[in-house]
Amino acid sequence: MTIPRLLAASAFVTTMAISSAMPAAAQEREIRLSGFGAMSGVVRSFGINSKAALEAAADEINKSGGVKLGDGTKGKIVIDYFDDRCNAEEGISVTRRIASTSSLVGIGPTCSNVAEPLFGVLQKKVGDAGDSGLQFPIFTDVAIKGGLAKISEWAFRNVPDEGAMYAALFQWLKKTRPELKTIFGGVEEDFAHSRATWYAVMKEVAAKEGFEIKGEAKWLLADTNFTNQAREARRAAADIVAISAHPFTTCGMLKELGRQGVKPKLVIGLTSSSSLETLQGCAAEAEAIIIPTSFAPVTPEARAAADRAAKFNGSLDLHSGAAYEIVAILKDVIEGEGVLAKPDTVQADRAKIRNGLSKLTETKGLIGISKRTEEGEAVKPFLFVHAKGGKWEVLHNPTK
Amino acid sequence: MLIVDLVQSIVDGLLFGATYALIGIGFTLVFGVMHKINMAYAAASVGAAYAALRLIALIGGPAWASLLIAAAAGGVFGLIIYWLCFRFIPLSNPLATLMSTVGMFLLAEEIIVHTTDGMPQNYPVVVRGILDMGEFMIRGDLVFVFVCALLAMVVLLYLLYRTKLGIATRAVSQQPVAAQLVGIRLNHINALTFIVTGMLGGFAGALIGSAVGLLSPLLVIPLTIKGLIVTVIGGLGSIPGAIIAGLLVGMAENVFQYFRGVTERDIYVMLLLFVFLVFRPGGIFSNTVKRD
Repeated sequence: MTIPRLLAASAFVTTMAISSAMPAAAQEREIRLSGFGAMSGVVRSFGINSKAALEAAADEINKSGGVKLGDGTKGKIVIDYFDDRCNAEEGISVTRRIASTSSLVGIGPTCSNVAEPLFGVLQKKVGDAGDSGLQFPIFTDVAIKGGLAKISEWAFRNVPDEGAMYAALFQWLKKTRPELKTIFGGVEEDFAHSRATWYAVMKEVAAKEGFEIKGEAKWLLADTNFTNQAREARRAAADIVAISAHPFTTCGMLKELGRQGVKPKLVIGLTSSSSLETLQGCAAEAEAIIIPTSFAPVTPEARAAADRAAKFNGSLDLHSGAAYEIVAILKDVIEGEGVLAKPDTVQADRAKIRNGLSKLTETKGLIGISKRTEEGEAVKPFLFVHAKGGKWEVLHNPTK
Repeated sequence: MLIVDLVQSIVDGLLFGATYALIGIGFTLVFGVMHKINMAYAAASVGAAYAALRLIALIGGPAWASLLIAAAAGGVFGLIIYWLCFRFIPLSNPLATLMSTVGMFLLAEEIIVHTTDGMPQNYPVVVRGILDMGEFMIRGDLVFVFVCALLAMVVLLYLLYRTKLGIATRAVSQQPVAAQLVGIRLNHINALTFIVTGMLGGFAGALIGSAVGLLSPLLVIPLTIKGLIVTVIGGLGSIPGAIIAGLLVGMAENVFQYFRGVTERDIYVMLLLFVFLVFRPGGIFSNTVKRD
């Protein structure tokens, strides 16, 4: 073969190689999902864990071949994460910003005081021409205050149903610990989630299960002095002390109870306190505290997910576990609804995802199957965990 | 039971108020010397306590060592704040240093949040023990804080009125130009003031961490607000005033909480501040009420 022929042959081979590789690259589209939550301020750990969970889940899906889109091409999930500082105005602003990009879904926020007004700016009823609200699907991983998704048909949540969790907990206690008759509550009065959980959930279901409410003490999110509140608990001498507060004040109250020698037979905590924060703040004082949670590494899937999130510098708990599940749910919805993920189909894709989410009746979660309600809420499986030796250990699995 | 609870609330409040007093002393000392408010003071104090906690976790050591390490870290932070927020900022403009220290306050808080991910950290107990008298209880650690606040006042008053450094500091405070004319280095004295108050702040931050049992960025804003209230009620620049005001604010908080509940507590504390601003603007120990 002469040199010109050799050159021509190699040029042909190179051209063929490039041209055969190009469609593959073109076929791999970006599916942009945008997380948002608190990445600064005192609830920063929630955002860090959610971001890590989203990235870990996306990484796992991408490594397993990506997401099959409506025209048969493969898409790769790309995660953005935005800081809303647990502030309602910033949360709304961040969502509007995300909605102006090619992002298909917003995953967040961290705080219920952001979720509530944010859902209010979304279009309430799909297809209502008179409602100029934002038409952008939001899938919430953390904000847990009860019943928020019904605010808009574009809002969905994958957060546990605290009403069911605490009802099951008190029923179980009534059955297994009949010596427990009375309960005293402690509530972080200025935090939407803590407040709602004590007044609308713990207090009500405890009374319904026949526990006598011996009183309640209140404090604020940044309080440091719990002497009055612990004294009230001491005087109430209840069998159970239920603390509906986040880790900082849960630890403060537990420490003060210890100082004053208040030793209830049982301490119950807020779902959000079943986290690393509580153990970092007061592992010794939190020993034996019981908390219902929708995540614990009890299944192979949950353990693998926790390991993956750790590689992205996060810790999986009931909130970040929900974020991890959301990415898997969205993959199924995108594939089921034939989302195209093209620049000119963004709004249509968002509508398809919203429709897909609204049609779901159950989803696969890390510790079991979750039911979906018509109002866009999840009914997730849960466990009772207790702090033991500086770790959260499963105490009881109500589904077994 | 009402009287017992009320007395206990007063005692608890007074003792907890000692933590406010320690922070208030730092605010008031800087104001006394430079006639400026250092808004980053409480944030730096909490930061110093965090630094001590990290170092103790790293190298080990008894809980009380955290007080000394925090004091040392506080001194360094004090100097940094002086250099960044005062040294090269025009002191003639009162808003300039106020804004620079507000900026430093936000920066310090975010540094703490980013270093710890906002998670509360368990703080070792320096002084254990509770004096249990049946219905009454007195916390040993808060008594220790109280004694420390009194000792800090004595030491600072001694420094100010019995040492050459104190004379120089007061000279800078009263007549900065004249002080320079007699050879006192203005920047040197100001820097020393920040180091001393920083050390006190670090010590206070560690004591507060120990008394609360936790460190969290959540401490920064309440301590700053309480420190400022204490400084105003105690009289700007008055060290004994800061001590009394700290105890008073602590007591008032607890008593208002006892009678009116936690959600109204801070309203009454703020009303107390306004009462002082209107009827005794010079603070507790001011002789006369000067009004326009």
